[in-house]
Amino acid sequence: MSAILPAIPIRLEKRTERTPSWVQAATPVGAFLFAFVIVTVILLAGGHNPLQSYNAMLQASVTSTSAISQTLVSATPLLLTGLAAAVAFRMGIWNIGGEGQLYIGAICASGVALAIGAHGIGLALPAMILAAMVGGALWAAIPGLLRAYLNANEILTSLMLNYTAGLLLDWLINDSNSYWRDTSGASAYLVAHGKTIPGAANWPAIGGGNFSVPFGFLVGLVLAALLFVLVRHTWLGYQLRVTADNPGVGRYAGMASKRNFVIVMLLSGAIAAIAGASQVGDFTHILDPTGLQSPQYGYTGIVVAALGRYNPLAVVISALLLGAITNAGINVQSATFPQSLTGVIEGIILFCVLGSEIFSRYRVRVGAEKATVAA
Amino acid sequence: MPNEPDRRVALAAYAVTKRFPGVVANDNVDFEVLGGEVHALLGENGSGKTTLCKMLTGMYQPTAGRIEVDGKSVVMHSPADAHHNGIFMVHQHFSLVERLTVAENVMLGWSLDGSRIRFKRRKAEQEVARLAEQYEMPVDAGKMIGDLSIGERQRVEILKALCRGARVLILDEPTTVLTPQEAERLFASVRGLAKAGNSVIFISHKLHEVLAVSDRVSVLRRGVMTGTVELGDHAAAVDRKELARMMVGREIELGRRQRAARAQEAATAGLEIKELVVHNDLGTLAVDRINLNVAAGEVLGVAGVAGNGQREFAEAIAGVRPRSGGEVFVGGTPVRSGRPLAALAAGMAFVPEDRMGIGLASGIDVAENLVLKSFRTGAFSRGPLIRRGRVVDNANTLLSGYELRGGPSSLVGQLSGGNAQKVLLAREMASQPKVLVIAAPTRGLDVGVTETVRKLIAEAADSGTAVVMISEDLDEVLDLADRVAVMSGGRITGIVDAEGADVEEIGLLMMGQEQAA
Amino acid sequence: MNRGLVIQLIATGIFYGTPMAIAALGELLAERSGVLNLGVEGMMLMGAVVAFWVSRDVSGPNGLVLIIAVLAGAAAAAAVSLIHAFMTITLRANQVVSGLALTIFAGATGLSSYVGDLANLGGNPGRHIMNAINVFGLKDVPILGPIIFNQPALVYISWVIAFAIYWYVNKTRQGLHLRAVGENPEAADAMGVSVTRYRYAHVLIGGALAGVGGSFYTLVISSEWTDGITSGAGWIALALVILAFWRPAGVIAGAYLFGVVSALGANLSARGVQLPPEVFSALPYVLTIAVLAIVSSGWGRGRFGAPAALGVPYARDGG
Repeated sequence: MSAILPAIPIRLEKRTERTPSWVQAATPVGAFLFAFVIVTVILLAGGHNPLQSYNAMLQASVTSTSAISQTLVSATPLLLTGLAAAVAFRMGIWNIGGEGQLYIGAICASGVALAIGAHGIGLALPAMILAAMVGGALWAAIPGLLRAYLNANEILTSLMLNYTAGLLLDWLINDSNSYWRDTSGASAYLVAHGKTIPGAANWPAIGGGNFSVPFGFLVGLVLAALLFVLVRHTWLGYQLRVTADNPGVGRYAGMASKRNFVIVMLLSGAIAAIAGASQVGDFTHILDPTGLQSPQYGYTGIVVAALGRYNPLAVVISALLLGAITNAGINVQSATFPQSLTGVIEGIILFCVLGSEIFSRYRVRVGAEKATVAA
Repeated sequence: MPNEPDRRVALAAYAVTKRFPGVVANDNVDFEVLGGEVHALLGENGSGKTTLCKMLTGMYQPTAGRIEVDGKSVVMHSPADAHHNGIFMVHQHFSLVERLTVAENVMLGWSLDGSRIRFKRRKAEQEVARLAEQYEMPVDAGKMIGDLSIGERQRVEILKALCRGARVLILDEPTTVLTPQEAERLFASVRGLAKAGNSVIFISHKLHEVLAVSDRVSVLRRGVMTGTVELGDHAAAVDRKELARMMVGREIELGRRQRAARAQEAATAGLEIKELVVHNDLGTLAVDRINLNVAAGEVLGVAGVAGNGQREFAEAIAGVRPRSGGEVFVGGTPVRSGRPLAALAAGMAFVPEDRMGIGLASGIDVAENLVLKSFRTGAFSRGPLIRRGRVVDNANTLLSGYELRGGPSSLVGQLSGGNAQKVLLAREMASQPKVLVIAAPTRGLDVGVTETVRKLIAEAADSGTAVVMISEDLDEVLDLADRVAVMSGGRITGIVDAEGADVEEIGLLMMGQEQAA
Repeated sequence: MNRGLVIQLIATGIFYGTPMAIAALGELLAERSGVLNLGVEGMMLMGAVVAFWVSRDVSGPNGLVLIIAVLAGAAAAAAVSLIHAFMTITLRANQVVSGLALTIFAGATGLSSYVGDLANLGGNPGRHIMNAINVFGLKDVPILGPIIFNQPALVYISWVIAFAIYWYVNKTRQGLHLRAVGENPEAADAMGVSVTRYRYAHVLIGGALAGVGGSFYTLVISSEWTDGITSGAGWIALALVILAFWRPAGVIAGAYLFGVVSALGANLSARGVQLPPEVFSALPYVLTIAVLAIVSSGWGRGRFGAPAALGVPYARDGG
């Protein structure tokens, strides 16, 4: 009934009635305002002029078409990994293996592009996406099956597989003569790097002038809509929602909960893998271990998903928000907005949003509980 | 067998009333527990036993009246206060840490010799072993809880209380989780505890157990204490009859179903159950070779005190729980074990007693809960997509006669218990089932909804459904059923016609006395 | 392979295994109380940067400055772990999300780098470094000398910490309560043990130890600060806790095994052995997955599995 904090008499009472709509609307707004205040304080404490920093950030990410294009580049992988995390977390399945599934997706997509990319984009693009999805799904099947049939915690197994996938990536490019590695000429051995995929396999960007939308971002938008439909408007999504809400009801109605668990993992892994394919097809055009690993798109995707409260459509917005912040960090790179601020700001926003959810789940009351006096 | 209590009142409630919004859970209850006695507390679910015990252990405070320990009035605000007064309760769900040893569990939050830091394992184990021996509750103090049988775990719970100086021990339906052999051991321990001067409040549904172990019995009915009986040296049949009457005492005669209106047609096959054997979650035998036939259009009431295998019985027929043996036929077709979909296809509808636990998903809206069983038919689909319009129409149609608060889009979790039961019934009856299994149909519902539910059950039977109605409320069973099967210890101890049934006979059957063939 | 090389490998393994071991010991305490903290990497970086800052800017006798630096690193990491504790224990937020947010907040592109930027730590060598100690002058004893008697102080401190944790968890009443809180908070609460207090305390101690582990990188391994200097050690620490079945001795052994294996990988490839170093590096993770698969069901779960309440927020009303 009540949880008493050390010293502070805050009590949490579980809401039994539907959360009032004004609370639902006001919490995220309040959380963002609160985050804004904290970030401002940190900037001030760090000797920055907050106005200048915010201005630099807006200039880099929002206020021109080219800035927006840059933001979309940063948002693309986050949108895809965010959707991957959202679909799993929404169903109560804690797949934090998006990171590794992304690497596998990049490996599969670049492999396919190297093999058949010269045949033209019409064949290469779907083949890259398909290969990535299959690879990512299989990689995600490992924690999925281990959980469904051996009860091994999917948080921990999917986390471990991220590093295994990262090492596979390193090995393919740095320590082997694999199909992916550029072995032509002496310079290729001086600085190990991957083969560049045929130009015909480069994903097209949509737009004109200095405004362009990466193809991967469009894929993400379509996926967001499809996932929204899947969860809300299909019977598969219905069964997943019922099982996530109450596994007992799922059993009572004859739903196959283990099978559904694995399906969600496969789906989540496949989507995260598209993020990897997009990195290769849209941006880097080679398999680049460092470029894929250092930004930690998979983990940030979980933050994106949590910010969007695991709703696929809201994930689009949170991906754009974090994309803008990340992009500012990359492109400003100056004393007014050091890159290290990106993590700080992202973290603070997430903590504020995460913390604010308490208001929709509980009534928060301050003050000591009224003692029930025996007559 | 009962020993001589010392006639000193150890714990008492005087004129205690507890009101909740809209309910009087305990109404002017007097209850005295003597030192060194085993005092059984009997009553149906919802009769107020739990509320009374929660007041005796500091979890609730009475609205009126007083509680006395050793003749002194006390106010207890928490279980810790009750512990200080030597009052401990052993709940049905043990609070034991599986991966700690017996001794470690006993010593949680407690220090043997006042040492604040060191946990002296050897010493703790010795102390627990000593207590175990003293009270004849054998248990290996060094063993992990996870390796113990349920009976042994229960002993650990009791030892936890004894170690802290318990003088009054409340055992909440302690035998529901035990095998008969384990129950026998428990009775011996309980007698031993009483002999050593402790008091035991023994909450039970099972009359034969109460008779076997108690010195006195108090019966609660609808929040009122209907009496306290002293069991003589030889618990004679007189006591049993009196107890049965106190428990099921028929006062209100309401809404008896009009059976005459229905022609006793030649029994069309409805539900047939052959040699059904079912185990519960803990792997103990719950249903022991039951044979039953329910004709189409008949209401078979299953009476009996809760925890005698009714839940497992209902779930096994409905295909939700696998059978360990036997067969179930619906309309003459055999139904595979543990396959809810097979049962559904055969024409089975099931309203479980645990409505929000397995019957309805609380975070999903009413309309979607109403298609939980029918969404596979394709009637609500366009390809893989949900036809929301049809789902909502379906909800409106099904609920048209029910006066449901809130529309098809309200979340089930926000409905009252009565409205939730309406949704559940509407869904289950929608398929015009051949068989309806309905458990605790009106538990916790107000009078209005109760009437609706009863009417629906009658209508189902009239339309040719074979109804199995499992209820602890004997009044309700007698009002609605054509025949009453009495369940005790996982067996059907007898079947009587509801018309002109002898309540005392039913009471005896409930106590496990088998009907003369 | 000659004997000298084996000895060197083991000594190196112990050396590089130590920071992971210390961080993992901290995570072990948090997880034993039922709180999974995926923010180890972030907390280690906070410890690393603050410890380095102190070692660069505080003047005084070497030993004293180093002690202050380690403690400051511990305090900084504990401070960020407090965020996770507040989020997950008081506000009952999802532990996975909060832990990842902590790593992003404090990690390589977060607060630790920001602190490094502000204090202008990059590219500046530290002024104090923790050197190996020649314990009892036994450094040159054959075999054991280089392995055991010639390591920096934090190696010896990690042994003390491991033993202290073993003793605390198994031999004290508080340790007993800790285990109960992580296994079955309802039962612990019913017996008057404060779940909230135990969880806060152990998440904070866990954070402090992660900070100590992080400080090893900037005070011992290298005497300078670069962003993300721990390069994933925090994640290995998470694996270690599982691999050690949540037991301190196992953490130490596992950390040394990881250290030796990765040193061996580097060494073999330098000698032209055709076994990719990644195979060695992947070993801990693959091993951890295998272990999880084995200990998550049946008999193994009761003996070696994760604390039963790990990752589950506790509320009296069950919410």
